[in-house]
Amino acid sequence: MLWSLGGLPIGAAALLYLSGARLGRGALTSAAALTMLATLGLAALALAGDWGETSYRWSEALMLTLAPSRAAAVFTLAVPLIALPIIVYAGCHELPPGKAGRDGTRLMTLIIAFVGTMQWLVLADDLLTLLIAWELIGACSWALIGHRWGEAGVTRKALTAFVTTRFGDLGLYLAAMAVFAGSGGFGYADLATLDGPLLNVAVAGIVLAAAAKSAQLPFSAWLFAAMAGPVPVSALLHAATLLAAGTFLLARLQPTLDGVAWFAPLVVAIGLATALAGAVTAMHQGHAKKLLAASTSSQYGLMWLAIGAGFPAVALVHFVAHAFMKAGLFLSAGLAAKESGGYALADMRLGRRLPGVAATTLILSLALAGMIPLGSAWSKEQIASAAGQQALWLALAVALVGGLGALYATRFQRLAYGRADRRTRDRLPSSTSPTRGELAALHSLAIGTLLLSVLWWPPARQVVAGWLATQWPPSHTWLLLVSLALVLAGIAAGWWMTRPGHRVEPATAGQAVIAEWFGLSALLERVAVAVAALARHLARFDDAGVDAGLHASARVAEGLARLNAQRGEAFADGLPGGLGRLTDWGGAWARRAQSGQTHHYYSTIVIGVVLILSLLVIGGLL
Amino acid sequence: MILTLALAVPLLGALALAGYPRWSAAQARRIAMGAAGASLAALIVAWLGFDPRGPQFQYVVELPWVPSLGVAYRLGVDGIALAVATMSALLFSAAAIYPVDTRGEPRSYYAWLLFMQGVSLGVFLTLDLLLFYVFFDLSLVGMFFLIGRWGHGQPQLSALKFFLYTFAGSLLLLLAIIGLYLSLEPRSFDMRQLIEQQPLAGGGLYAGLVFLALMLGLAIKTPLVPLHTWLPQAHVDAPGPVSAILAGVLLKMGVYGMIRLPLAMMAETFARYAPWIGALALLSILYGALVALGQQDLKRRIAYTSINHMGYSVLGIAAAAAWVGEPAARQLALAGASLQMVVHGLITGSLFLISGSLWQRTGDYQLAHYGGLAYQAPLLTGFTVLAAFASLGMPGLAGFVAEIQVFAGTLAVYPWLAVLAIVGILITAALYLDMLRRLFFGHLPASLASFSDLGRAEWLVLGVLSLGIVAIGVYPSFVLELLEAASAALVGGR
Repeated sequence: MLWSLGGLPIGAAALLYLSGARLGRGALTSAAALTMLATLGLAALALAGDWGETSYRWSEALMLTLAPSRAAAVFTLAVPLIALPIIVYAGCHELPPGKAGRDGTRLMTLIIAFVGTMQWLVLADDLLTLLIAWELIGACSWALIGHRWGEAGVTRKALTAFVTTRFGDLGLYLAAMAVFAGSGGFGYADLATLDGPLLNVAVAGIVLAAAAKSAQLPFSAWLFAAMAGPVPVSALLHAATLLAAGTFLLARLQPTLDGVAWFAPLVVAIGLATALAGAVTAMHQGHAKKLLAASTSSQYGLMWLAIGAGFPAVALVHFVAHAFMKAGLFLSAGLAAKESGGYALADMRLGRRLPGVAATTLILSLALAGMIPLGSAWSKEQIASAAGQQALWLALAVALVGGLGALYATRFQRLAYGRADRRTRDRLPSSTSPTRGELAALHSLAIGTLLLSVLWWPPARQVVAGWLATQWPPSHTWLLLVSLALVLAGIAAGWWMTRPGHRVEPATAGQAVIAEWFGLSALLERVAVAVAALARHLARFDDAGVDAGLHASARVAEGLARLNAQRGEAFADGLPGGLGRLTDWGGAWARRAQSGQTHHYYSTIVIGVVLILSLLVIGGLL
Repeated sequence: MILTLALAVPLLGALALAGYPRWSAAQARRIAMGAAGASLAALIVAWLGFDPRGPQFQYVVELPWVPSLGVAYRLGVDGIALAVATMSALLFSAAAIYPVDTRGEPRSYYAWLLFMQGVSLGVFLTLDLLLFYVFFDLSLVGMFFLIGRWGHGQPQLSALKFFLYTFAGSLLLLLAIIGLYLSLEPRSFDMRQLIEQQPLAGGGLYAGLVFLALMLGLAIKTPLVPLHTWLPQAHVDAPGPVSAILAGVLLKMGVYGMIRLPLAMMAETFARYAPWIGALALLSILYGALVALGQQDLKRRIAYTSINHMGYSVLGIAAAAAWVGEPAARQLALAGASLQMVVHGLITGSLFLISGSLWQRTGDYQLAHYGGLAYQAPLLTGFTVLAAFASLGMPGLAGFVAEIQVFAGTLAVYPWLAVLAIVGILITAALYLDMLRRLFFGHLPASLASFSDLGRAEWLVLGVLSLGIVAIGVYPSFVLELLEAASAALVGGR
């Protein structure tokens, strides 16, 4: 039964792919949106009906299992819920008017299939099923990022994103292999029975895989390559699917993974480092989507921190809050880019041209800033409190990340939707107002963000705690006040950084390096170049070195053959000839001996007698 | 009886094509398709009737031939042989259907193709060691003429290099076979007796030498690094369908031979040397993948990935042969290794057929000369993307099922080899995505403006092969049932 949660959208995607090119834009979008609604309904039904574990056997040793869990429940509902407005937006924003065409159909069906695979991923109850879904969403993301494959460089970036995340996938392979080696199965339950080095290997592999997918350090830089994809794709990857997968996995398996002593400190360290690095990168970015991408990495870093601190439920709540606002912000960035003709924040300031969008985006930006009373502010406070359970400085660090978040959120809002002075406004071409579908998608995500404010209301958060079977970390008023102060300071600093006339793009070389993940992008590029060079050298070595051995032995054989043909043949031919000549000569000599003259015979007899006698004498003496 | 049918029909077809001069090109092709298809049908019937819980070898036929030497016409299959033989027959049918330039000699081309099918199936179906060697060698003869007469580039040279190199391997194999034969009392070439008696189980120099000769001979055919350099050149100069056969069927003879001869007949000796074989396999995996990444020629790139993929198979076999490790893990590794043979045949067969289609249209293998073909040829793009993703081990497609079993089984036996081996799938991902990017995406050069998409025969063949790739990826139990039973018999048989 649980298979249908992913099977329904994947099946629908296959059907739509076959018929979609003939459908019109509206029909295709409606069909896709209906599929998402059905997926959402099915997930709700599964939750309400308490659908149980279900398996599919590949062989004696290989068994694929899905099972419900609390983390999975959150995701199976949240993913189609976020994907629904994104699909509507994609239909209006990306598809050509009239027939949807091959490209449009591919985009829509891939998004749907992506959601279906994601449902399997979160429901997986063993590492094999997880690995299958994990790799499939990687492949989907490759196809989606490379959607505009005709443009130069796009598919190269898709390749970078895929290969970087697949490097992390190797960790999951390793974990699955270790679990099999230790227990003879692949189940999460088998993982829990491991101990010793195999458990360490499995946990390390899982953390590696999660870090690469969630764009944690040192893998964050692939996010910028992934920006080659269309806006709805970025929204989907960042808010609800690809990046979320890594964090989901840690949240889902946290009780087991925590059995290894280094797990919690490592995850906290990675999370904090990424949260800070992402925030600083976002502070310096002048590209609207890249700013949002860096902030995503930072926000997932916060979720990692919560998981490391032992509160995966807090991470799940922050995931939901983040999903709504980040999906909305990306969609909004797409509208801004359509209006200004590119993603450069320096060319935007569209407040006068898109006042409605600007107002809606303000809500989302405030959520990103962690401003009370929005839901994400509450979940961020919970993360700070959870960190405070570990150490005071950790809680203050979370508050600092929150302050930086407020800074880049303000920077995004003001640069994208601030009010330009009247002189520059008229340089732009006339405005094309956003379509109703685009606005509806944006508004619904903003409404979702607003609705999540209910988390500040104690009874509501108790209900959520009940659903997730967890307890919230104890909160402190002073911490809340510190956070709030830092947020306000961040907003003020962001306001100051975006004052008219201030440079948007990084001013110095150092800032430019920071804006590209502190040089991680360049490092990634350099690794790729080095591997390619190694491969070319090896290829040359293979032709010139390994194959040369073969050629050398062929030449030796040829030389031997030639030697044989000349000397050998001469010798072999000469041997019988020489023998013949020798015989000839002996014969001639013997004939000469038959001379017929008596004195010749006598002298021969004398020589013979002397010879015989001397032999006898020698024999007697001896 | 049904195995004899599968073996004899293509050989008779080849004889008829060679002997009767009046058939036209279309008729010759139809006859080849019919004979190859009939052979495939016979093997499918055998598959349906195969009982995984039954005896190890089924459909056994034994007719005395030279009783004084212990040579007999012996046929029979276990799950591994049957699966590989069926895949081979499918690939031969595909090669017969796939359009190719026969240079005005269609009859002899199809005759050689059918001859190749007969002798290749013979290698997989026979249970007699001498017949195995005869078929093994005859396959070289067939391939020599197919490359030399219908190849492009420097076909004569490539064919000669291929023949001499692999023939050297065959000679070592012959020595080893004689060594095995002499060790058995009473003297016999019956594989089942050799497997049962394990005549060289005591070890010693003699067993070591026989094992070395066997492995060297088979490693040349597989091929394992550094004995691989005949492969890329033969591939580049062979016509597409022949390349598909070369990669899909001939390479399997080496790997299949490792399972059938040293693993089954010299289990003890193999166990002693298994770590070394595993290390060589690892070298093939990493070196093959990296060198493939460094190639700028489409066909050479695919050819080198074969070395990488066969490395996975050999790694699984080495793990299965080891002393250490649970039987369950070794069995998994062997099932993965044998599935990898089937899967690699389908995937790389598809990729070489595709490269044949590209050659037919442009006469060029340089990746740098391509680009943007997805505009012109969406079908070709679709099939290539599917095959490439299958080859880089994407779940849902066949390659993953084989590789994950090899990895998981090997980790339990030789952890370090397995850990390093998984790096191979990262490199293959990079090299295939790069290949796709350069062929199909980006800017379309003006020279390719009139590039035509796949014809009906082409997409039908690729469709069937792709269907196989997806079927094994989603529902592998229909093959794994066979392979697991055979693996259990081989691993548990000590």
